[in-house]
Amino acid sequence: MYEGVHTHPDGRATAARFAKTAAAYGYDGVVIRNHGDAQAEYDPDRIEERYGIDVVPGIEIRSDDPGQASGLVGNYRSKRTVVCVHGGELNRFAVEQPAVDVLAHPMRDGDINHVLAKTAAENGVHLEFNLASVLRAEGGERVDAIQGLRKLRELTEKYDTPYVVSADARSHLHLRAPRELIAVGETIGFDREAIAAGLEAWGELAARNRTRRSDAVIEPGVRIESRDGEH
Amino acid sequence: MKHLPKHLRPRWRYLAVGIDSWPEADIDRRTFQRTLWFAAQNLLGDTGSAELDVSLLRFQFRDGEGDAVVRVRRGEVERLRAVLATIHEIDGQSVGLRVRGTSGTVRACEEKYIRRPPESSEERTVALAGTERPAVVRNDRVDVADSDGRVGATALDIRDN
Repeated sequence: MYEGVHTHPDGRATAARFAKTAAAYGYDGVVIRNHGDAQAEYDPDRIEERYGIDVVPGIEIRSDDPGQASGLVGNYRSKRTVVCVHGGELNRFAVEQPAVDVLAHPMRDGDINHVLAKTAAENGVHLEFNLASVLRAEGGERVDAIQGLRKLRELTEKYDTPYVVSADARSHLHLRAPRELIAVGETIGFDREAIAAGLEAWGELAARNRTRRSDAVIEPGVRIESRDGEH
Repeated sequence: MKHLPKHLRPRWRYLAVGIDSWPEADIDRRTFQRTLWFAAQNLLGDTGSAELDVSLLRFQFRDGEGDAVVRVRRGEVERLRAVLATIHEIDGQSVGLRVRGTSGTVRACEEKYIRRPPESSEERTVALAGTERPAVVRNDRVDVADSDGRVGATALDIRDN
Protein backbone atom coordinates (compact mmCIF):
# COMPACT_ATOMS: atom_id res chain seq x y z
CA MET A 1 0.00 0.00 0.00
CA TYR A 2 1.11 3.55 -0.77
CA GLU A 3 0.45 7.05 0.54
CA GLY A 4 0.51 10.42 -1.21
CA VAL A 5 2.42 12.96 0.89
CA HIS A 6 3.53 16.60 0.91
CA THR A 7 7.18 17.00 1.86
CA HIS A 8 9.19 20.04 2.94
CA PRO A 9 8.79 22.87 1.82
CA ASP A 10 5.17 21.92 1.03
CA GLY A 11 4.98 20.10 4.37
CA ARG A 12 6.97 19.76 7.59
CA ALA A 13 9.03 16.63 6.94
CA THR A 14 11.51 15.60 4.29
CA ALA A 15 10.93 12.79 1.83
CA ALA A 16 13.40 10.67 3.80
CA ARG A 17 11.55 11.19 7.09
CA PHE A 18 8.24 10.34 5.42
CA ALA A 19 9.79 7.22 3.92
CA LYS A 20 11.27 6.12 7.25
CA THR A 21 7.94 6.55 9.06
CA ALA A 22 5.83 5.06 6.27
CA ALA A 23 8.10 2.01 6.13
CA ALA A 24 7.70 1.51 9.89
CA TYR A 25 3.91 1.78 9.46
CA GLY A 26 3.89 -0.98 6.85
CA TYR A 27 3.60 0.99 3.62
CA ASP A 28 5.28 -0.23 0.44
CA GLY A 29 5.76 3.25 -0.97
CA VAL A 30 5.10 6.98 -0.84
CA VAL A 31 4.15 9.27 -3.69
CA ILE A 32 5.68 12.73 -3.25
CA ARG A 33 2.94 15.06 -4.41
CA ASN A 34 4.14 18.53 -3.53
CA HIS A 35 2.31 21.43 -5.09
CA GLY A 36 4.00 22.88 -8.15
CA ASP A 37 5.23 25.99 -6.34
CA ALA A 38 6.76 24.01 -3.44
CA GLN A 39 8.91 21.36 -5.05
CA ALA A 40 11.45 19.40 -3.03
CA GLU A 41 14.83 17.99 -3.87
CA TYR A 42 15.37 14.36 -2.96
CA ASP A 43 17.07 11.26 -4.25
CA PRO A 44 14.42 8.50 -4.52
CA ASP A 45 16.97 5.71 -5.05
CA ARG A 46 19.05 6.67 -2.05
CA ILE A 47 15.99 6.87 0.21
CA GLU A 48 14.68 3.59 -1.11
CA GLU A 49 18.01 1.93 -0.47
CA ARG A 50 18.15 3.17 3.12
CA TYR A 51 14.54 2.58 4.20
CA GLY A 52 13.40 -0.17 1.88
CA ILE A 53 10.39 1.69 0.56
CA ASP A 54 9.43 2.86 -2.92
CA VAL A 55 9.67 6.64 -3.37
CA VAL A 56 7.62 7.85 -6.31
CA PRO A 57 8.20 11.34 -7.73
CA GLY A 58 4.87 13.07 -8.28
CA ILE A 59 3.36 16.52 -8.39
CA GLU A 60 0.10 18.22 -7.50
CA ILE A 61 -0.62 20.88 -10.09
CA ARG A 62 -2.41 23.91 -8.72
CA SER A 63 -3.69 26.75 -10.85
CA ASP A 64 -6.70 29.05 -11.22
CA ASP A 65 -6.62 28.77 -14.95
CA PRO A 66 -7.37 25.55 -16.88
CA GLY A 67 -5.22 26.80 -19.77
CA GLN A 68 -2.19 27.15 -17.55
CA ALA A 69 -2.97 23.85 -15.82
CA SER A 70 -3.10 22.16 -19.20
CA GLY A 71 0.38 23.42 -20.01
CA LEU A 72 1.68 22.23 -16.63
CA VAL A 73 0.17 18.77 -17.07
CA GLY A 74 1.83 18.50 -20.48
CA ASN A 75 5.11 19.70 -19.03
CA TYR A 76 5.21 17.42 -15.98
CA ARG A 77 3.71 14.30 -17.59
CA SER A 78 7.10 13.24 -18.88
CA LYS A 79 9.01 14.40 -15.79
CA ARG A 80 7.00 12.87 -12.95
CA THR A 81 5.69 9.37 -12.42
CA VAL A 82 2.39 10.44 -10.87
CA VAL A 83 0.61 13.63 -11.91
CA CYS A 84 -2.15 14.95 -9.62
CA VAL A 85 -4.31 18.03 -10.04
CA HIS A 86 -5.33 20.18 -7.06
CA GLY A 87 -9.12 19.78 -6.92
CA GLY A 88 -11.76 22.46 -6.62
CA GLU A 89 -11.87 24.90 -9.52
CA LEU A 90 -10.04 22.44 -11.75
CA ASN A 91 -12.35 19.44 -11.22
CA ARG A 92 -13.90 19.58 -14.67
CA PHE A 93 -10.59 20.23 -16.38
CA ALA A 94 -8.88 17.32 -14.58
CA VAL A 95 -11.46 14.62 -15.26
CA GLU A 96 -11.31 15.43 -18.98
CA GLN A 97 -7.54 14.84 -19.20
CA PRO A 98 -6.39 11.24 -19.67
CA ALA A 99 -2.88 12.54 -18.87
CA VAL A 100 -3.97 13.27 -15.29
CA ASP A 101 -3.58 10.38 -12.83
CA VAL A 102 -5.32 11.75 -9.75
CA LEU A 103 -7.78 14.53 -9.06
CA ALA A 104 -6.86 15.44 -5.48
CA HIS A 105 -9.52 16.35 -2.88
CA PRO A 106 -12.26 17.08 -5.46
CA MET A 107 -14.82 17.83 -2.73
CA ARG A 108 -12.77 20.32 -0.71
CA ASP A 109 -13.49 23.52 -2.63
CA GLY A 110 -15.54 22.00 -5.40
CA ASP A 111 -18.00 19.31 -6.24
CA ILE A 112 -18.34 16.17 -8.28
CA ASN A 113 -21.56 15.21 -10.04
CA HIS A 114 -22.64 12.24 -12.13
CA VAL A 115 -21.23 13.77 -15.32
CA LEU A 116 -17.78 14.37 -13.85
CA ALA A 117 -17.65 10.95 -12.16
CA LYS A 118 -18.49 9.29 -15.48
CA THR A 119 -15.98 11.38 -17.41
CA ALA A 120 -13.28 10.55 -14.86
CA ALA A 121 -14.05 6.85 -15.30
CA GLU A 122 -13.79 7.15 -19.10
CA ASN A 123 -10.44 8.91 -18.88
CA GLY A 124 -9.02 6.75 -16.10
CA VAL A 125 -8.60 9.76 -13.81
CA HIS A 126 -8.54 8.57 -10.19
CA LEU A 127 -10.63 10.61 -7.77
CA GLU A 128 -9.12 11.02 -4.34
CA PHE A 129 -10.88 10.16 -1.09
CA ASN A 130 -9.00 12.66 1.01
CA LEU A 131 -9.27 11.81 4.71
CA ALA A 132 -7.47 14.94 5.98
CA SER A 133 -10.54 16.61 7.45
CA VAL A 134 -11.87 13.36 8.89
CA LEU A 135 -8.56 12.83 10.67
CA ARG A 136 -7.59 16.37 11.56
CA ALA A 137 -10.73 18.51 11.77
CA GLU A 138 -13.80 18.37 13.95
CA GLY A 139 -17.28 19.79 14.18
CA GLY A 140 -18.83 21.32 11.08
CA GLU A 141 -15.75 21.02 8.92
CA ARG A 142 -15.51 17.32 9.60
CA VAL A 143 -19.24 16.78 9.06
CA ASP A 144 -18.99 18.51 5.67
CA ALA A 145 -15.99 16.40 4.74
CA ILE A 146 -17.71 13.13 5.67
CA GLN A 147 -20.79 14.12 3.68
CA GLY A 148 -18.60 14.98 0.71
CA LEU A 149 -16.84 11.62 0.91
CA ARG A 150 -20.17 9.82 1.02
CA LYS A 151 -21.40 11.57 -2.09
CA LEU A 152 -18.13 10.82 -3.84
CA ARG A 153 -18.34 7.17 -2.76
CA GLU A 154 -21.85 6.79 -4.14
CA LEU A 155 -20.80 8.28 -7.47
CA THR A 156 -17.60 6.28 -7.85
CA GLU A 157 -19.54 3.08 -7.07
CA LYS A 158 -22.20 3.93 -9.63
CA TYR A 159 -19.78 4.73 -12.47
CA ASP A 160 -16.94 2.45 -11.41
CA THR A 161 -14.62 5.46 -11.29
CA PRO A 162 -11.06 4.62 -10.19
CA TYR A 163 -9.95 6.22 -6.94
CA VAL A 164 -7.15 6.62 -4.44
CA VAL A 165 -7.28 7.11 -0.67
CA SER A 166 -4.96 9.36 1.31
CA ALA A 167 -4.52 10.92 4.75
CA ASP A 168 -2.92 13.86 2.88
CA ALA A 169 -0.07 14.02 5.37
CA ARG A 170 1.90 17.28 5.68
CA SER A 171 4.38 15.78 8.12
CA HIS A 172 5.43 12.32 9.27
CA LEU A 173 3.22 12.94 12.33
CA HIS A 174 0.16 13.08 10.06
CA LEU A 175 0.83 9.63 8.62
CA ARG A 176 -1.43 6.85 9.85
CA ALA A 177 -0.89 3.13 9.33
CA PRO A 178 -3.06 1.38 6.69
CA ARG A 179 -5.03 -0.51 9.34
CA GLU A 180 -5.85 2.75 11.08
CA LEU A 181 -7.09 4.35 7.87
CA ILE A 182 -9.18 1.27 7.12
CA ALA A 183 -10.74 1.53 10.60
CA VAL A 184 -11.47 5.22 10.09
CA GLY A 185 -13.00 4.46 6.69
CA GLU A 186 -15.24 1.87 8.27
CA THR A 187 -16.62 4.34 10.80
CA ILE A 188 -17.64 6.71 8.01
CA GLY A 189 -19.30 4.09 5.85
CA PHE A 190 -16.56 2.64 3.62
CA ASP A 191 -15.98 -1.07 3.13
CA ARG A 192 -12.62 -2.15 4.52
CA GLU A 193 -11.65 -3.39 1.07
CA ALA A 194 -12.42 -0.01 -0.49
CA ILE A 195 -9.89 1.85 1.64
CA ALA A 196 -7.25 -0.84 1.11
CA ALA A 197 -7.88 -0.72 -2.65
CA GLY A 198 -7.54 3.07 -2.62
CA LEU A 199 -4.15 2.81 -0.89
CA GLU A 200 -3.06 0.11 -3.34
CA ALA A 201 -4.12 2.27 -6.27
CA TRP A 202 -1.24 4.75 -5.79
CA GLY A 203 1.21 1.90 -6.24
CA GLU A 204 -0.63 0.55 -9.26
CA LEU A 205 -0.54 3.99 -10.88
CA ALA A 206 3.18 4.25 -10.23
CA ALA A 207 3.84 0.79 -11.68
CA ARG A 208 1.69 1.44 -14.75
CA ASN A 209 3.29 4.80 -15.49
CA ARG A 210 6.79 3.43 -15.05
CA THR A 211 6.04 0.76 -17.62
CA ARG A 212 4.64 3.38 -19.95
CA ARG A 213 7.68 5.57 -19.58
CA SER A 214 10.11 2.73 -20.00
CA ASP A 215 11.92 2.22 -23.29
CA ALA A 216 9.85 -0.88 -24.03
CA VAL A 217 6.81 1.23 -24.86
CA ILE A 218 6.89 2.69 -28.34
CA GLU A 219 3.52 4.40 -28.31
CA PRO A 220 0.27 3.86 -26.40
CA GLY A 221 -0.74 0.24 -26.93
CA VAL A 222 2.53 -0.78 -28.58
CA ARG A 223 5.14 -2.44 -26.42
CA ILE A 224 8.27 -4.43 -27.14
CA GLU A 225 8.13 -7.91 -25.61
CA SER A 226 10.68 -10.65 -25.83
CA ARG A 227 10.01 -13.54 -28.19
CA ASP A 228 9.23 -16.23 -25.64
CA GLY A 229 6.65 -14.05 -23.93
CA GLU A 230 8.89 -12.93 -21.07
CA HIS A 231 9.09 -9.26 -20.29
CA MET B 1 -20.70 -6.11 46.42
CA LYS B 2 -20.03 -9.53 45.02
CA HIS B 3 -17.88 -9.84 41.95
CA LEU B 4 -19.53 -11.02 38.78
CA PRO B 5 -18.86 -14.66 37.99
CA LYS B 6 -16.03 -14.96 35.54
CA HIS B 7 -18.11 -15.87 32.51
CA LEU B 8 -20.25 -12.76 32.97
CA ARG B 9 -17.42 -10.28 33.34
CA PRO B 10 -16.73 -8.02 30.38
CA ARG B 11 -14.03 -9.19 28.01
CA TRP B 12 -11.30 -6.71 27.27
CA ARG B 13 -8.65 -6.16 24.66
CA TYR B 14 -5.48 -4.16 25.29
CA LEU B 15 -3.93 -1.94 22.67
CA ALA B 16 -0.33 -0.81 22.73
CA VAL B 17 -0.15 2.69 21.25
CA GLY B 18 3.04 4.38 20.11
CA ILE B 19 3.12 8.19 20.35
CA ASP B 20 5.52 10.19 18.20
CA SER B 21 6.03 13.95 18.40
CA TRP B 22 8.54 16.75 18.14
CA PRO B 23 11.35 16.54 20.69
CA GLU B 24 10.14 19.43 22.87
CA ALA B 25 6.58 18.09 23.21
CA ASP B 26 5.38 17.59 26.74
CA ILE B 27 2.33 15.40 27.31
CA ASP B 28 1.12 14.04 30.62
CA ARG B 29 -1.20 11.17 31.36
CA ARG B 30 -4.26 13.27 32.19
CA THR B 31 -3.98 15.29 29.00
CA PHE B 32 -3.65 12.17 26.90
CA GLN B 33 -6.63 10.56 28.59
CA ARG B 34 -8.77 13.65 28.12
CA THR B 35 -7.78 13.87 24.46
CA LEU B 36 -8.63 10.19 24.00
CA TRP B 37 -12.09 10.63 25.52
CA PHE B 38 -12.84 13.74 23.50
CA ALA B 39 -11.66 12.06 20.31
CA ALA B 40 -13.96 9.10 20.95
CA GLN B 41 -16.87 11.37 21.64
CA ASN B 42 -16.22 13.54 18.60
CA LEU B 43 -15.96 10.61 16.23
CA LEU B 44 -18.49 8.16 17.70
CA GLY B 45 -20.74 10.21 19.97
CA ASP B 46 -21.96 9.32 23.45
CA THR B 47 -23.36 5.93 22.49
CA GLY B 48 -20.23 4.87 20.67
CA SER B 49 -17.97 6.07 23.50
CA ALA B 50 -20.06 4.12 26.01
CA GLU B 51 -19.79 0.97 23.90
CA LEU B 52 -16.02 1.30 23.68
CA ASP B 53 -15.75 1.77 27.44
CA VAL B 54 -12.18 2.87 26.90
CA SER B 55 -9.64 3.50 29.67
CA LEU B 56 -5.97 4.37 29.77
CA LEU B 57 -3.96 1.86 31.81
CA ARG B 58 -0.32 2.76 31.21
CA PHE B 59 1.25 5.92 29.93
CA GLN B 60 4.78 7.15 29.54
CA PHE B 61 6.13 10.03 27.51
CA ARG B 62 9.62 11.46 27.44
CA ASP B 63 11.73 13.50 25.00
CA GLY B 64 8.95 13.73 22.45
CA GLU B 65 7.91 10.10 22.32
CA GLY B 66 6.05 7.62 24.38
CA ASP B 67 3.63 4.78 24.59
CA ALA B 68 0.35 3.86 26.19
CA VAL B 69 -1.74 0.80 26.91
CA VAL B 70 -5.43 1.39 26.30
CA ARG B 71 -8.17 -1.00 27.35
CA VAL B 72 -11.33 -1.46 25.30
CA ARG B 73 -14.27 -3.87 25.13
CA ARG B 74 -13.54 -6.88 23.01
CA GLY B 75 -15.18 -6.46 19.61
CA GLU B 76 -14.59 -2.69 19.64
CA VAL B 77 -10.91 -2.74 18.72
CA GLU B 78 -11.45 -1.42 15.21
CA ARG B 79 -13.56 1.49 16.39
CA LEU B 80 -10.94 2.40 18.98
CA ARG B 81 -8.31 2.16 16.25
CA ALA B 82 -10.31 4.73 14.27
CA VAL B 83 -10.55 7.02 17.29
CA LEU B 84 -6.79 6.79 17.89
CA ALA B 85 -6.14 7.64 14.24
CA THR B 86 -7.99 10.93 14.65
CA ILE B 87 -5.78 12.09 17.53
CA HIS B 88 -3.39 14.43 15.77
CA GLU B 89 -2.86 17.09 18.41
CA ILE B 90 -2.57 16.96 22.17
CA ASP B 91 -2.60 20.28 23.99
CA GLY B 92 -1.77 22.02 20.72
CA GLN B 93 1.21 19.74 20.05
CA SER B 94 1.29 17.62 16.89
CA VAL B 95 1.37 13.89 17.50
CA GLY B 96 1.52 10.79 15.35
CA LEU B 97 -0.24 7.79 16.88
CA ARG B 98 0.09 4.21 15.85
CA VAL B 99 -1.30 0.97 17.22
CA ARG B 100 1.69 -1.31 17.72
CA GLY B 101 -0.41 -4.33 18.58
CA THR B 102 -3.31 -5.75 20.55
CA SER B 103 -3.40 -8.42 23.24
CA GLY B 104 -5.82 -10.19 25.53
CA THR B 105 -3.97 -9.22 28.70
CA VAL B 106 -2.12 -6.11 29.88
CA ARG B 107 0.95 -8.14 30.60
CA ALA B 108 1.18 -9.69 27.16
CA CYS B 109 0.55 -6.28 25.66
CA GLU B 110 3.41 -4.67 27.59
CA GLU B 111 5.83 -7.50 27.08
CA LYS B 112 5.27 -7.73 23.38
CA TYR B 113 4.90 -4.11 22.33
CA ILE B 114 6.18 -1.72 25.00
CA ARG B 115 9.87 -2.57 24.95
CA ARG B 116 11.82 0.49 24.03
CA PRO B 117 15.56 0.81 24.08
CA PRO B 118 16.58 4.15 25.56
CA GLU B 119 17.44 6.44 22.71
CA SER B 120 20.05 9.12 22.99
CA SER B 121 19.09 12.64 22.10
CA GLU B 122 21.52 15.44 21.32
CA GLU B 123 21.28 19.01 20.13
CA ARG B 124 23.53 20.17 17.35
CA THR B 125 23.68 22.36 14.28
CA VAL B 126 23.01 20.70 10.96
CA ALA B 127 22.85 21.80 7.35
CA LEU B 128 19.44 21.18 5.80
CA ALA B 129 18.97 22.25 2.17
CA GLY B 130 22.12 24.34 2.38
CA THR B 131 21.22 26.28 5.54
CA GLU B 132 22.77 25.76 8.97
CA ARG B 133 20.09 25.26 11.60
CA PRO B 134 19.80 23.99 15.17
CA ALA B 135 18.39 20.47 15.44
CA VAL B 136 17.63 17.69 17.87
CA VAL B 137 19.12 14.40 16.76
CA ARG B 138 17.60 11.13 17.97
CA ASN B 139 19.57 8.37 16.27
CA ASP B 140 18.55 8.47 12.61
CA ARG B 141 15.87 11.07 13.21
CA VAL B 142 16.77 14.73 12.90
CA ASP B 143 14.24 17.40 13.87
CA VAL B 144 15.42 20.72 12.49
CA ALA B 145 14.21 24.08 13.80
CA ASP B 146 13.28 26.77 11.29
CA SER B 147 11.27 29.99 11.40
CA ASP B 148 7.94 28.09 11.30
CA GLY B 149 8.74 25.46 13.90
CA ARG B 150 10.27 22.10 13.15
CA VAL B 151 10.96 20.07 10.05
CA GLY B 152 11.29 16.31 10.38
CA ALA B 153 14.35 14.95 8.58
CA THR B 154 16.69 11.99 8.86
CA ALA B 155 20.44 11.52 8.81
CA LEU B 156 20.10 11.01 5.08
CA ASP B 157 19.10 14.67 4.63
CA ILE B 158 22.05 16.04 6.52
CA ARG B 159 25.26 16.60 4.68
CA ASP B 160 28.32 14.48 5.58
CA ASN B 161 26.11 11.45 6.09
